[in-house]
Amino acid sequence: MNLLKLATCITAASLLAACGSDSDGPSAQQKLLNTNADIAYATYTDSVETAKLLKEALATFKTSPTAENLTAAKTAWLVSREPYGQSEVYRFRESPIEAVEGDVNAWPLGEALIDYVKVNDTDFTADQVGVTANSAGINADGVVDGSIATQNIIGETDVVINDALLANTASADDEHDVIAGYHAIEFLLWGQDLNTTTQLTTNGTDRNLAVNATSQGGQRPLEDFTTNDNADRRHQFLEVAVDKLIVDLEQVQAGWKDGVSGNYRAQFTTITNDADFNQKLTEILTGMGTLSEGELAGERMQIAFASNSQEDEHSCFSDNTHRDIWLDAEGVSNSFYGSYAGYDSTQDGIDDVTSNAVNGYGIDDYLREVGLDSLAASAKDAFDLTETNYTEIDTLARAGSPFDVQIMAANRTAQSPVSKTIISLEAQARAIQDIATELNLGDVVEDDASECETSTPDVEC
Amino acid sequence: MKYLSLEPSYARFSAVLLNAILVLLTGCNAPSPAEHVAPAYQSSEAFPGGATSASPKPFVSFQLPAANLNPALKSDFYAGQALARQPWVKAPTITTARDGLGPIYNARTCLSCHIKGGKGFISDTDQVPLLGTLIRLSKPGAITEEFAQAGIIPHPVYGDQIQGQSISLAHQLRHSQKPGTLQHDVAPEAYVYIQWQEQTFTYPDQHQVQLRQPSLEFRNLGYGPLGDDTLISVRVAPAIHGMGLLELIPQQDIDALVDEGDHNGDGISGRVNLVWDVETQTMAPGRFGLKANKPTLAMTVAGAFAGDVGISNSLFPQQPCTKKQSKCLSSHNGNDVDGFELPDHLLDLVVNFNRNLAPLKRSHFKSQKVLQGRELFYALNCNQCHAPSFKTGDSTQFPHLSGQTIWPYSDLLLHDMGDELADHRPDFLASGNEWRTPPLWGVGVQHQVNGSRALLHDGRARTIEEAILWHSGEALKSKVRFTTLSKKDRETLMFFVKSL
Repeated sequence: MNLLKLATCITAASLLAACGSDSDGPSAQQKLLNTNADIAYATYTDSVETAKLLKEALATFKTSPTAENLTAAKTAWLVSREPYGQSEVYRFRESPIEAVEGDVNAWPLGEALIDYVKVNDTDFTADQVGVTANSAGINADGVVDGSIATQNIIGETDVVINDALLANTASADDEHDVIAGYHAIEFLLWGQDLNTTTQLTTNGTDRNLAVNATSQGGQRPLEDFTTNDNADRRHQFLEVAVDKLIVDLEQVQAGWKDGVSGNYRAQFTTITNDADFNQKLTEILTGMGTLSEGELAGERMQIAFASNSQEDEHSCFSDNTHRDIWLDAEGVSNSFYGSYAGYDSTQDGIDDVTSNAVNGYGIDDYLREVGLDSLAASAKDAFDLTETNYTEIDTLARAGSPFDVQIMAANRTAQSPVSKTIISLEAQARAIQDIATELNLGDVVEDDASECETSTPDVEC
Repeated sequence: MKYLSLEPSYARFSAVLLNAILVLLTGCNAPSPAEHVAPAYQSSEAFPGGATSASPKPFVSFQLPAANLNPALKSDFYAGQALARQPWVKAPTITTARDGLGPIYNARTCLSCHIKGGKGFISDTDQVPLLGTLIRLSKPGAITEEFAQAGIIPHPVYGDQIQGQSISLAHQLRHSQKPGTLQHDVAPEAYVYIQWQEQTFTYPDQHQVQLRQPSLEFRNLGYGPLGDDTLISVRVAPAIHGMGLLELIPQQDIDALVDEGDHNGDGISGRVNLVWDVETQTMAPGRFGLKANKPTLAMTVAGAFAGDVGISNSLFPQQPCTKKQSKCLSSHNGNDVDGFELPDHLLDLVVNFNRNLAPLKRSHFKSQKVLQGRELFYALNCNQCHAPSFKTGDSTQFPHLSGQTIWPYSDLLLHDMGDELADHRPDFLASGNEWRTPPLWGVGVQHQVNGSRALLHDGRARTIEEAILWHSGEALKSKVRFTTLSKKDRETLMFFVKSL
């Protein structure tokens, strides 16, 4: 920080402190936190509402399991991802989603635990024996023979599929069995994304190519929901999974509801001094920076890009990962601009459902208010570049090259929009860090005088 | 629901509380004169990890990248984090990248035990089986040629640890299905429960502290009885920050602290474990692990992947099954064309992730009370094992970790800690009484990281005070002196330890 900026900062901070309680309405600090909470409530509200629409679509599909209704259910799932994706910026900051995120959006999915996994033995090396059917069973003794499928929930008809199955399993003990949430529903609707249309030589070394080469998502046959012995169990699982998803999302939504004494929002938006505000703003920036750099650029894109790993694709069954990237990044910029435009219900990339849209007071507004206009401008540039790049991923995907194709070896170049998006997300994270640095948010305040509390100066130390 | 944002106030609360206690009890006496005088305070002490030290704001975490990590390496750091944090799943799946869990295992991810990079948990009751806590096994006797590279004689059926989970549906759904609904294909080795025996410690000044020590109960043993002579050691997952810095401490600087025959007569010896290095295929000084039984960070990470998660790799290519566990051996694995579930380039990512986890800047370091506690720490000779500082060596590969003055407070040597802390399970040269000095950096914010208050190898200590009181063996003299300090001085010393 140069001295001029420092002076500006101090002056602005002093002004703010002086104006903090004036009668012209809420302070800049308060407006920023309120808007941040408003956007959270709006995105989770839309998430709940689209999850309920998904539930309706699944119910219709159960009643009338036609190809059209399967497609409609898939579409409802894709739409449900649109608001939820924008809410992910509220992770990584100890907000209400952390308590249920593992049940809502965890992945990789334990797909082999849920339903049959169809493994073509020519596509896979010797370790993957030819499991071809969903007829489950076990050997009473001795070895587990490769000729039989491993046990799974759908196939084991003694397993009761009810809300207790997910409630007691999903969060049990260490981590999660990952049988609940969006991706469990996705797996049941789409099935595994296998190469069934191309005839590549798949002697093991070409395996990734074989798996990735298809430009469509999973290919679960409609018969799995109609004539198959376990069709009813799949419908039952979907019903239970979507019910739990709604309950979990409603719990998060309630944490952000305005006017509820003692809930998370009340705690988050209550500030009594600059230090309180700095802590909250740091939490917001931590969520934004961690999602940009750690989660999205690193854990979701770099690892997939580096290892050409389809399972590192977030929505690997539906091939919807391009939207996950777009929406996560959009959520970060929502926090910066203090606005939420709603969500896209028609899959054309335009947010057309705007009933819960928010247009409030953003971090950009705050930076300008405290005289850090150039910082606001450079952050905007970073967000703009990221948007350009993730839009390119989206465009390519819509043109027939989904994310799993974009990460294939032949496409792994510096010009790849995936590579460019990773780099711009990292630059965006640095811009977010710069904001924290300029506002002195991450500094450890040293107690070089004594550990005595300044509030109790009379205590002898 | 946990809203940990409330937690940072704890330290301030403690300070207030301690002050109140101190004023009430004894007023402000100077620390007793000591023959071991602390060296002058250095400004680098505020930054335990040197330039890598990360800020504890807004959330205290041991999962942060080194503050000076080259931005170009950040994406690799997070890619490694993905492999440490996202669950491994049962094979087969459509790709090998994330499958191969188990077939028997302790945890699905690294960070489900090392939560946020911090210490693991151990149950306070016998109501739930242990998870995030490892049970090591072996058999007594001299190490034969066959097991020279293992350093222990593994249990013939259960191997060298209890894997309390398995990929079997019966295990996965055990909380939702009636018992008997499903049969195990591959059974978990056991559900292990812990019980705590309480005892009271009374200081010479009559102040009392409750201590506890564990006893285990093995239920649902999946592969027959353990046998009476089996050696059993309980291990809570340690914190994993600062490992890259510890790795770069020159061995000669550690060797310089060895006093195996206690020639200086201070009652403290300290020795190096000599262990098998699978990469160089030689015996090498051990540095990592509770008994210093691993020579390198790569082996530590790779060994945990293989043993705890059941993810094979080039350093530990075997599945976590013994020859007697045929169903386990014949289950699907997630091997790639090279025969591993975790290929080398991904293992490297995880090792580098661990290598770059930052120690945190201290929030208290120069106040009068911290400095008084510091005087006592040296006066009581605590620094003889909890060696305060090292300078890391040079590394062209990791220049940001090189040449850092660090303050881990560990000599990384083995010490006899007495019979009560002993697990009686030797590991290479380490006897059943010996443990490697654990680093103290971050110990005071451990519970702010993830809520764990477990201290010592088996989590028996719930506070720093309890941990100190369990010290014996080579630490006996220091412990006894601690107990004879005034309560105020004890608190002051512990205030210093908490500040590290």
